[in-house]
Formats: sequence, structure tokens, C-alpha cells
Amino acid sequence: MSDLNIAVIIKLEPDFSEGNVSYNPDGTLNRTETKNTLGPHSAIAAHAAFYAKVMYGAKISIGTMGPPIADSALQMAQRICDADELHLYSDRIFAGADTLATAEVLKTGIEKMQGKIDIVFSGHRASDGETGQTGPQTGWKLGFTFLGNVIDYKVNLQERTIRAKRMVRLQGFNDVVEEIEAPLPVFISIDPAYKANFNTISQRLSFEKYKKEAKIRSDNYKHYLKVFNAQQLGVDLKFVGLPGSPTIVYKVERIPKGKATRQAEILDGSNPEDLRKAVAKMKEALSAMVIK
Amino acid sequence: MSGVNYQHLYVIMETQDDKLVPVSLEMLGKARELMDSFNKKYQLNEKVVAILLGHNIKEVCDTLIEYGADIVVYADSQELKDYRNNIYTKVISQIAQDEKIATQVSPKSKFKKPRYMFFAADSIGRHLSSTVLVALDSGLASDINKLEINDIPLTHQHKTDGKPIMYEKTLEMYRPDFSGFLWTTILCLDNKNPQIERDYHPQACSIIPGVFEPIISHKEQKGQIIEYTPIFDQHDLRVKILNRKVIKSEVDFDSYKTVVSFGRGIKDAPEQNMKLVEQLAKVLNAEIGVSLPISKKPFVVNENMSSKYMISDRVIGTSGRKISPMLYVAVGISGAMQHVVGMQDSRFVVAINPDENSPIKDECDVFIKGRMEDVIPKLVEEIKKSLVVNA
Repeated sequence: MSDLNIAVIIKLEPDFSEGNVSYNPDGTLNRTETKNTLGPHSAIAAHAAFYAKVMYGAKISIGTMGPPIADSALQMAQRICDADELHLYSDRIFAGADTLATAEVLKTGIEKMQGKIDIVFSGHRASDGETGQTGPQTGWKLGFTFLGNVIDYKVNLQERTIRAKRMVRLQGFNDVVEEIEAPLPVFISIDPAYKANFNTISQRLSFEKYKKEAKIRSDNYKHYLKVFNAQQLGVDLKFVGLPGSPTIVYKVERIPKGKATRQAEILDGSNPEDLRKAVAKMKEALSAMVIK
Repeated sequence: MSGVNYQHLYVIMETQDDKLVPVSLEMLGKARELMDSFNKKYQLNEKVVAILLGHNIKEVCDTLIEYGADIVVYADSQELKDYRNNIYTKVISQIAQDEKIATQVSPKSKFKKPRYMFFAADSIGRHLSSTVLVALDSGLASDINKLEINDIPLTHQHKTDGKPIMYEKTLEMYRPDFSGFLWTTILCLDNKNPQIERDYHPQACSIIPGVFEPIISHKEQKGQIIEYTPIFDQHDLRVKILNRKVIKSEVDFDSYKTVVSFGRGIKDAPEQNMKLVEQLAKVLNAEIGVSLPISKKPFVVNENMSSKYMISDRVIGTSGRKISPMLYVAVGISGAMQHVVGMQDSRFVVAINPDENSPIKDECDVFIKGRMEDVIPKLVEEIKKSLVVNA
């Protein structure tokens, strides 16, 4: 029995990398042609969990809600963090859930993981939905303290507390790095800027050991996988899927072209005279008097 | 489920070091405009209620009245000096459901919950809105840049059990998607289907900073200021902020007169084209920005360039920074609205793009038509020449 139990929640997302992503002629994502992969922010969350494995020998469980093929995301995440347990919450009833209804499923799933969970990690936001709401909402439902934008953390196993650094970015102001201490359990949404550091020899040795184990385990990931439908999870059907979603997508439209805010002078990029003109205009703009 | 259970628009203010963050007044401006037409249309007298948490913030309350709030509910405590999610979430949801506050806000008709709620879509507001709306058990739309209130006739399998129902006073929340080309309208609706009947109020959203304008302040504006004394949970107070350090971002747009940004237009030869952008930025002494899709690392380039440029810190737009340099050069950027919000305050804008129909044409002062591969090398030469002439 480990002293520290970690959960990671992840998401299968469109793969935005070249060769895998496909855009419609109008610039929107072609979902049928685009391949899927473990979301990049989910991958960072898995890295953050792996840090706890190396530093504290934590036990790690990963959970995701999605279609049956989302097990591939669990496998990819297991390969990163050497998870001991994989949970897939999959049921047609869950389809179309908004963040509140998704959080209900994830919360119920996390409560079914082995051991009493001390820290849950989630990614900053999904690269398709981009709301960043599911993490904090799951955390609140669990009754855990929520810490967002975490870039670094250390656990005090004796006192059952965590110290985390958070990166706060506010528009028009400088960034703020905040150090915060909280009693466990906590829910952490990990910042895209997170990077684990393993400094000592013994840390690097256990890093190698778990890395090797992660590869072996993820090659055989089905052995660690548990699939739950709504009934097995024991969720109230009123609180999940479409019935449990306060919000609906009412319509999707192309953003109409706004009124031209500027009247552009069109110059020919292959005409040297035009380019000289462009440079002259740029210089003029830069030398303009600034009256404040 | 009579309408009187829900009233008013609550707007959650944000401060940093006891000063209002600009988006706070922007939200109030939009709230004022919406509720003025709401009250006129429905012959009602519902309020714009600003919620302010912090320490030594009393002076700010008057400012909020000047900028469009009818009522300010504030909680002033040492424990609220800096934002802690758990504590702020509880205090805001207490205020939203407090009977005494409801009586003070509208003495004749006590309401149960706010009708609408606004938060800022930034590092604090995004998370805070998420947790507050779970605490209030209602829906949330994030990163909104257009809002309307309408009566909406709807037939929906789950919401209305397939029957036509009129949803009155519904907040239409418009959200640009990640590509910046599509607008999704999100509604937060009660389940009126008898099998799954549920109230979903408030209808809430987070609002992108820099989208709406504050109203012109009126010093003589009258309003009501209400103090709320929060009750803290001792367990929550164990979450402690040990220190806070202000740091300059690694990418420092503010120190440069010029910003050169690139987008997906680099696609034909990503690495070479990024090098061209570097050259252009160098002769212009410019900082380099990117459009949102670039931060998702869509192209394979060497690790060094990828970690230097394809990062969220460089994103200009609603998901990144809003900048206003003297000169902005958009290279291979189509001009999705997402991006435009971040650069439209630039003094002078040059776009380099082969497609004259791309939206960026309407957002620039000079549109250089051509592929960046052809244009940049020549442009760099011209800039170098003009520097020599000047010297």
C-alpha cells in the first residue's frame, strides 16, 4: 500500500499535428478526417503524476470518459506515468454531456479508484473544447481543494500537505508566481509550462526503473483496464449525459466577417517599387510622435 | 418555476493588488447595456449587481457604481486579500443564495438565485466560474464574446420532451471556437421535461477580456452599496498563500515597438519560413508572436524552434495576449476574430498574405500580396537598404 494515491483524468482529442489534422476549406476542423490522440495537456498531467511516482512511489490511476476507442488514450497516458490502474467510463448515455455532466461521471469514477485519492491531476484544458471547466468542476464535486495553473509541486507525506507553485496570468498585468500550501486532498489542473526535474542520482535511477515498467505495462494495458458503463458506475442518470447538462449548443454559425476596421492599401509583393513603399510606410509608423 | 425565483445580473469583479482588472469594468459596461434593454423590453426593474471580494476595497465600490452597477455587494476581509479558489467560491455562492442580500437587493420580491452571472475569462475567472457554477448546480459557457437576451422557442428531445416550449429571457452566449471561424451559441436552460425536471439558474458565462467597452463613467450615478460578512470554513483557511512574486513574461511584447507574428501560412516549409520570420523580426527589432493554432505545434520543426516559438506565451488573441505595438506585421495569418482581438489596437498593421480574400485584409493598413517565401527575403533587403540610407 502506497502512502500516496494519485488520479489523473485525461481526454482523447483531435490530433492537431501535421499529417493527422485535417481542415475544411473554410478553415474549420474536419472531424471525420482528423485522427485522435491523447490530448497534449492530458499528457502533461500524466507527466506531473509520474513525478509523484518517482519521488514518492505513488500509486497512479487514470480515468477518462469517452467512446470505447478512448482506451488508446489511457494506454498512451500509462506509458507516460506507469499507471497501476486504468478506468474507462463509456456509455452511450454519457454522449453529448457538457462539463457539469462530465464532471459528475469523472467524480463518481475517481471515487471508485483503488485507495483514497490524495491528488487528482487534470490538464489545463482540452485542445478541442478549450473550456478548462471539467477539471475544476470535478474537483469541486469531489470536495477537494482546487489549485489551477500549477507549475511545480512537492508533497509532505508526514503532514499530508502539498506545496505548489501556481502561474497566474492576468491581462494587462505582469505574471504572478504564487506559492501555496494546502492540506491533501487536492485537485490540480496542471499548467502547460509544467516541467518535472529529477536532480539526484537516486531520483534518476527510479525514473529509469518506472519508465521501463511503464513501457512493459502499457504494452499490456488491457490487463490494467476496467471499463464502466453508467450502471456499473452507479451514476444517477438524471445527472449525466444530456439530461444532466444544463447547457446546450443552440446553433453553430460561421463568424460573419466584421466591418473592415482599416482600409488596406494593397501592394504587390513581387514588385520592388511596392515593397519600397511598404517599407517607407512602416518607417513612418515607427517614427510617428507618441503623445501620451 | 415562476420567473420571480430568479432575478438580476450578478457580475463578479476581479482585482489585483486592490485595483480593478480592466475586464471588470468591461463586463459591467456590457451588463448595463443588456439590462437597460432587458428592463425596457420586459417592463421590469432588474439590477446589475457587482460582487466584489478583497481587502481594503471599499473605495472601489463607488467606482463600480460610476461604471454601471446599480448595486455593489462587497466582502472585505484579510482572508480575501488574494484569490484562493475554495474560499472565493464559497463566499460568492453564499452571496448568490443569501436571503438577506436578496431582500436588500429587491425588497419587494425575494428571489432565490441570480438570473444571470458574468465572470472574467482569465486565469482567475475561468476556474472561479467553473467551481461557483458547480456549487450553484447550473451551467456555464466559457470565453464568450457576444451576448443577447431573447425569448427562444425550442423543441428539444431532453429539455422539452420533444414539445415546443418558449424559453423566456434566455441569455444567448456566443463563443468563438478554437479555429476562430465558428461561433457556437450556448444556452443554459431549465429541464422542462417532467421526467428530468430541473432548474438551471443562473445562466452564467465567462467573458473574454478586451471584447466589450466600459461605459463612460458618471460621477453623479447613484447606487446601493451592501456589505456582506462572509462565514469562513476553518478547513478552507488551511490553504495558505506563502508568497507571491511578480515576474516579467519570458516573451515581452511591451518592450518592443514592433511585433511580427506568424500563423498557419508557414505550412509549406515550416522551419525555413520560421527562419524567415526570425530574419524579418531581427531587421525590424521586433518581438515574435504567433496565432493560436501554432501554439498547438501543428508542424514538425527542430525542437529548439518549437519550444522557442510554438508556445502559448507567444499567442496573440483571445487565448493569449492583447497587444498594441506601433507596428504589427502579420505573416501568413488569416485573421480569425480570435486573433484580431489581440492585435487590433496596434497603431499600424502590415499583412503578408497570398490570399486577398482572407479577413486580415480588413484589419491591416498595408496588405502585401504574396507568399512569405517570396516576399520576406525581398522585404528584408529593402528594410536593410533603407536603414543604410538613413544612417
